[in-house]
Amino acid sequence: MQGIPGGGTRPGPSPVDRQMLLIFSFTLAVALGQMNFTGDQVLRVLARDEKQLSLLRDLEVLKPQKVLLDEEREAMAKSRRLERSTSSFSYSAYHNLEEIYSWIDNFVMEHSDIVSKIHIGNSFENRTILVLKFSTGGSRHPAIWIDTGIHSREWITHATGIWTANQIVSDYGKDPILTDILKAMDIFIELVTNPDGFAFTHSMNRLWRKNKSIRPGTFCIGVDLNRNWKSGFGGNGSNSNPCSETYHGPFPQSEPEVAAIVNFITAHGNFKALISIHSYSQMLMYPYGRSLEPVSNQRELYNLAKDAVKALYEVHGTEYIFGSISTTLYVASGITVDWAYDSGIKYAFSFELRDTGHYGFLLPATQIIPTAQETWMAIRTIMEHTLTHAY
Amino acid sequence: MQPRRPPPPAPGSGPWGPRPAAPLIALLLLLVPVVAAAESESAEDRGQPQDAGLQRRLLQQAARAALHFFNFRAGSPSALRVLAQVQKGRAWINPKEGCKVDVVFSTERYNLESLLQEGEGHLGKCSARVLFKNQKPRPAVNVTCTRLIEKKKRQQEDYLLYKQMKQLKNPLEIVSIPDNHGHIDPSLRPIWDLAFLGSSYVMWEMTTQFSRYYLAQLTSVRQWKTNDDTIDFDYTVLLHELSTQEIIPCRIHLVWYPGKPLKVKYHCQELQTPEEASGTEEGSAVAPTELSNF
Repeated sequence: MQGIPGGGTRPGPSPVDRQMLLIFSFTLAVALGQMNFTGDQVLRVLARDEKQLSLLRDLEVLKPQKVLLDEEREAMAKSRRLERSTSSFSYSAYHNLEEIYSWIDNFVMEHSDIVSKIHIGNSFENRTILVLKFSTGGSRHPAIWIDTGIHSREWITHATGIWTANQIVSDYGKDPILTDILKAMDIFIELVTNPDGFAFTHSMNRLWRKNKSIRPGTFCIGVDLNRNWKSGFGGNGSNSNPCSETYHGPFPQSEPEVAAIVNFITAHGNFKALISIHSYSQMLMYPYGRSLEPVSNQRELYNLAKDAVKALYEVHGTEYIFGSISTTLYVASGITVDWAYDSGIKYAFSFELRDTGHYGFLLPATQIIPTAQETWMAIRTIMEHTLTHAY
Repeated sequence: MQPRRPPPPAPGSGPWGPRPAAPLIALLLLLVPVVAAAESESAEDRGQPQDAGLQRRLLQQAARAALHFFNFRAGSPSALRVLAQVQKGRAWINPKEGCKVDVVFSTERYNLESLLQEGEGHLGKCSARVLFKNQKPRPAVNVTCTRLIEKKKRQQEDYLLYKQMKQLKNPLEIVSIPDNHGHIDPSLRPIWDLAFLGSSYVMWEMTTQFSRYYLAQLTSVRQWKTNDDTIDFDYTVLLHELSTQEIIPCRIHLVWYPGKPLKVKYHCQELQTPEEASGTEEGSAVAPTELSNF
């Protein structure tokens, strides 16, 4: 833990204040270490009054320490910094959890005629899990599910989801296909499917994949949320080692993030399509992941994927490959789309967005909008097919 | 397509369609040929989708292994190549021994800025034979590529990069390259290119018919002063292995001078098991008879 150097050559704090500073140092809260190799540390300092606050401001000019303000003050400062409307939100930048949740609130408010937000549960670290609902009314219309960010390091997916949400409200009434879809069906988008992991990618470890659940018996943290579903659970392509990136967890749906979705979709009972978005590899895939066995409507899904990939390609020339998960990517058990398919959702697809390995998870923000634009055309193709092939 | 000047490593690898020697023919007869050549990656309707998928994956694996090896052997950070498209190939699988793959593929320059531009005509072509040995690293690679960049231009760019590296102030205060938002500062590009070159050696060694590696991020760099003007630096990379989704930190030590063979030593961290095992990997581009000088 680093102390705060006092004084210096500039006109600094008075002797009394210096004492305050010393007392301060001893009341420093837990230091959070960054997971890199330069030894940077972030110190959280609690200020109790205006005087301490001004001391902190004096310290701010000292490098290299960075000082955070008292939580109350911080909250106030934040509310000033956060945008009050979505018109100033940048779709071509990556955002943190707070910014996304703030955007959601604004977004819902601005488009309350067709958008609402639903709290479907809480994460392991007790963060709110939110789903956006796009509906033109009616009761329990057949529905389409889209999730992004189930693996927290796949930042392009959250960014694509946000852009897509905005695209839906922009295009409603203008794009005849989307308008037809929304007239007959509801769309649900879960933007931050793994909020704990996502917060962790911002604070400590950019390449974190799993959630943040801990359990006795192991010092390793987290379950791969895309191995925790009740479909071929524990099979090949998942791992029983808690330290593994594909650890499936102790039992199916053991993770609150997965249970929340299962409960929601099951209770709803009328989902017709499910799209789970990941990165990277540039692939569009359908079940099964758990085995090479083809699904019963394999031909139909193959052709639909082919059309969707073609529509995607026509936007920016990005090439995707497609097929079942097990034959295109790898065998993986306990995955979202296998569960969805086994639960009766015939049109279950998994995307792996840009790129194919140059930047991988660290896709530059300049590629957010092109990626979202092309992905949207593929999603739209799938949704249209779902609409015209009611079951 | 004939290469203008066949580069090393091994003699005997010609253009696509080699003529194997007699013992090799015998070996080929022993191996079980897997159903026919696969076309380029866009949709095909013939054959069962599953077989085609498996074939395609193997060809991809082989192409990547061959490219890592090619990049390492070329030893040129300004002439790095990446896979554009697998064009054709054939895989023979012997469950006991491993996997032999002949593959032809196109490549493009590993120039991150130009990736978004299509149709610049900067496509090279390679043909390779790759032998994956079951459960063993270091696939045997025979690869030939057409020249992508004119030799003189490549030498100039290498030398420019060398100069840029030499001018960097030490100790380098690098946090991450790229940063968490995928951005690489132009002044740091030489470091990244050189790190990618060194990582190619590591990734080649570690690639099997199942595991595939990508360079995710560079997390620390330290450059050493040398007596002989070589570039000598230590760095840590995070490699991403696709089939297990693991992130593997590797410490790499690299010695380079434009036009000279690359020297690499590395140590990658093993996956944490509950018992916390760890291992050491060392490799060197230098032939066994030469002593390494670091």
